[in-house]
Amino acid sequence: MSGTDDRVAVETSDRWPDDADEDVGVVVNWFVAEGGHVEEGDSICEFQVEKVSVDVPAPVSGTLAEIVIGEDEEFERGDRLAWIRPV
Amino acid sequence: MAQQENDDTSEQQAGRSLTMSRAMVEAIAHEMREDDEVFYMGEDVADYGGIFDSTEGLLEEFGRDRIMDVPISETAYIGAAVGAAQAGMRPIAELMFVDFFGVGMDQIYNQLAKNTYMSGGSVNVPMVLTAAVGGTYNDAAQHSQTLYGTFAHLPGMKVVVPSTAYDAKGLMHNAIRDDDPVVYMFHKRLMGIGWLPAPDGPKTGVPEDDYTIPFGSADIKREGSDVTVVTLGLHVHRALEAAADLADDVDVEVVDLRTLVPLDTETIRDSVAKTGHLVVVDEDYRSYGVTGEIIASVAEAGLDDLDAVERVALPDVPIPYARPMEDEVVPGVDDIAAAVRAARGDE
Repeated sequence: MSGTDDRVAVETSDRWPDDADEDVGVVVNWFVAEGGHVEEGDSICEFQVEKVSVDVPAPVSGTLAEIVIGEDEEFERGDRLAWIRPV
Repeated sequence: MAQQENDDTSEQQAGRSLTMSRAMVEAIAHEMREDDEVFYMGEDVADYGGIFDSTEGLLEEFGRDRIMDVPISETAYIGAAVGAAQAGMRPIAELMFVDFFGVGMDQIYNQLAKNTYMSGGSVNVPMVLTAAVGGTYNDAAQHSQTLYGTFAHLPGMKVVVPSTAYDAKGLMHNAIRDDDPVVYMFHKRLMGIGWLPAPDGPKTGVPEDDYTIPFGSADIKREGSDVTVVTLGLHVHRALEAAADLADDVDVEVVDLRTLVPLDTETIRDSVAKTGHLVVVDEDYRSYGVTGEIIASVAEAGLDDLDAVERVALPDVPIPYARPMEDEVVPGVDDIAAAVRAARGDE
């Protein structure tokens, strides 16, 4: 689906804890539902790796178009968690 | 879930949601920005952010003079908070686990709770004592209690028990602004922590602006006409799940007390007058506690309204460590549903 529209991916590689050996995280909480508005920099979800919780800020302002990794789901470092449609 | 105070439901659905811990922290941060006299002290509340995330992020904004880690002496730091409150500050002191109240109890029930009275009103104690409560995660008998009834039994303290993020924020604003001591008991299972997943209910829409929820106002989380379930904390969500399971047969009303002191007996009595059937659900011990108090307060004023009464509570035993045994003693959704059926006479 990527490349077919102007949506911006939400991903975690630059938020990954430096000292984590593990490359698998789990999404703990979403703070915005699909269709909800997000402001650039606001925490939109929280994931956990090796018991460290990390907030993920919205990379742009817009509408949370799609949540790819839901709550309690695991993902690998670099995976896209969601898509935002900028406004 | 019904959000009684929230007139703007569209904002709740489309806007941001918060975990209960983040909602509490947002209220504390707001009050700290508004009033320099507000500060927070407790074990692991600064660098760690509270072991149940009750102060996550506050150290970065407010620094170590206002977010203070303390040595492991509940007597010392709760006493210091009482003194600071009497001197005009607005401390928030945290008991890491409510189970630890014993080592600081004189400061709580003889000083915090009584100094306004003992001084003839020459001082008051505008402080908040926060405490993590509750089990369901296999932490054994000394780290799993709720002890709601103990604090509510002793006069001089207001006792707050939130069940959702929305309620937690409004009640925290009200607690910090209150001129008298408030014990604010948050259930670990509701906070929204990664290693201790919450049920679906407590994460709610939360307005960014400040708002207060007055003490002594119970909230009808689900309206129903057949049976009244009165409960608080984690068990609000278990009662709502039981009510959903029973929806084809029984129309259950779920009353969330939100505060034990003051107690909103009017909302409870009105509901029982409508349904005639009362089930009280509590995670605290069965004897001499919340269940008996609620039932007595209804019976005193409206015995004729009562067709049936059931109570569901923790049996009077130390809470077991082993998961199947803890699950056995902590009231579950099935236990609540069975009590509702029993109250209806169709066990």
